[in-house]
Amino acid sequence: MTHAVLSCLHANLAAVEAVLDDIDRLGIATITCLGDLVGYGPQPNEVVALVRSRGIPTCQGCWDEDIIEGLNACECSYPSQLAERRGQLAHHWTAAQLSPENRDFLASLPMSLRRDRLVFVHGSPNSQHEYLLPDMEAFAALERVVSAGADTLFCGHTHRPYVREFREGSIELRLRRPDGEPGPEAERRVDLPVRRIVNAGSVGEPRHGGTEATYVIHDEDRDTVEIRQVPYDVERTCRAILTVGLPPPFAWRLRHGFEFAERADDASHVCER
Amino acid sequence: MSGVVLVSGPPGCGKTSWILSRLQEHRGPRAYRRLDGVDPEGRPLALDGGLDQAFLHDQIPDLRELAGATHDPAADGEGLLALIELPLFGPEIPQTLAPGLRPDRHLHFGRDSELPRQDTLVFGALDSWSLDLATEVWDPASLNSFWFELVNGAYGDVYRAKALVNLPDGRGFLFNWMVSCSGTQFLPLQSVAPPHGRPMRLSRLVVQGKGLDTVGLQSTIADCLLSDAVLELQQAPRRPRGEPLPATS
Repeated sequence: MTHAVLSCLHANLAAVEAVLDDIDRLGIATITCLGDLVGYGPQPNEVVALVRSRGIPTCQGCWDEDIIEGLNACECSYPSQLAERRGQLAHHWTAAQLSPENRDFLASLPMSLRRDRLVFVHGSPNSQHEYLLPDMEAFAALERVVSAGADTLFCGHTHRPYVREFREGSIELRLRRPDGEPGPEAERRVDLPVRRIVNAGSVGEPRHGGTEATYVIHDEDRDTVEIRQVPYDVERTCRAILTVGLPPPFAWRLRHGFEFAERADDASHVCER
Repeated sequence: MSGVVLVSGPPGCGKTSWILSRLQEHRGPRAYRRLDGVDPEGRPLALDGGLDQAFLHDQIPDLRELAGATHDPAADGEGLLALIELPLFGPEIPQTLAPGLRPDRHLHFGRDSELPRQDTLVFGALDSWSLDLATEVWDPASLNSFWFELVNGAYGDVYRAKALVNLPDGRGFLFNWMVSCSGTQFLPLQSVAPPHGRPMRLSRLVVQGKGLDTVGLQSTIADCLLSDAVLELQQAPRRPRGEPLPATS
């Protein structure tokens, strides 16, 4: 079966429509969404309504959680004062716009979805706020996949798509007894099967260096992953950002597809709230 | 090199870097003066709000202020190197110098081969905007984001940006960027402000460009600057132990 995985829609209706059109054109019927339907973008109700109307299985993103739980969900995820002020502005604007039905929908979303050995999360199995960056220490990254009971872990949150495979991994255990204690030393080697992290990038706020929306297609039979880049009407979204009064740099970032993005110093932190 | 030397050239041609390097090399007394206002033909001179002067005095603490525009060996001492900076908006060389301005030599960027050759821009048609940031302290990560946005066009077509900024650990930096050069110069000041309240050194941002969104600039900058409470939070661990906390109102 071939299925599509998308993440980080961020209230960008033009981008979501373009990606869904692309998926439909390819004849793919199974779609999974990794959350962050709202935040930064100008059309939160429209995007949530579209996802609901399409019946797309969706897990909860960090922005979805914050809208429900309030901004105390994870204050430690803002890497700078400027990002925090802008984020709070976008949060309050989004919270004021969102209809009760759409808010209830976001509140109902699960933290993760599972289909056999495929697991779908927004950030990581630990938290919607944890970043699984492509250069994360390999053992820690593998731990996230194994602890979720997954062969392939689909995530988003970083806004940069990537596929990371863990091959020929092994763990060697050597048990040496304390001095004077009789008995042989124990040694064991565990060969790990191939594990994989697939990051779907971002539909609504791409940060891969271009302006095109990204999502991934997974062919389970061939076990291949394709990162798709879809052009959309960026100016339509930029105009809407300025019209509703969100910070103009949000539109500027989107229009230029700058790779630059603020990240926390410790991107893999686990919030202890 | 010694005597009184007039150094002229358009913004971004490398005047300040060249002047700093000559003054640092000189073994005798050193003096500097930056001319402001209009040039001898009545054209306005490039505005920098005192940034170059403050930076040079930081780098060379015994740098003298040249009161006049001529060199009086009796008053200034033998072996003086006095550099007078004449910032211009364009590459044209002024035909006449101001009355009383009688340098021993006049070097002009783009004309004299002993000066480095650099790309320069004609700034005559550009808007110039400046913001006084005295006593303000930046959140470093926010400053990083803001500067990226500024020089990449988030607030209009910026051709030149220069700033003296304060960080919460007491350090200060001169940021110097020009559209025709790659990257920003981040030059650290030698003086470090003590961890007691707001620094008193000159701090300012100067931007030259077209279609500048000054409202957006000010709004973003306001979101980058630290409040008294946050600054105190960051300075407190830097004070020697046992030092009393500042009085609260």
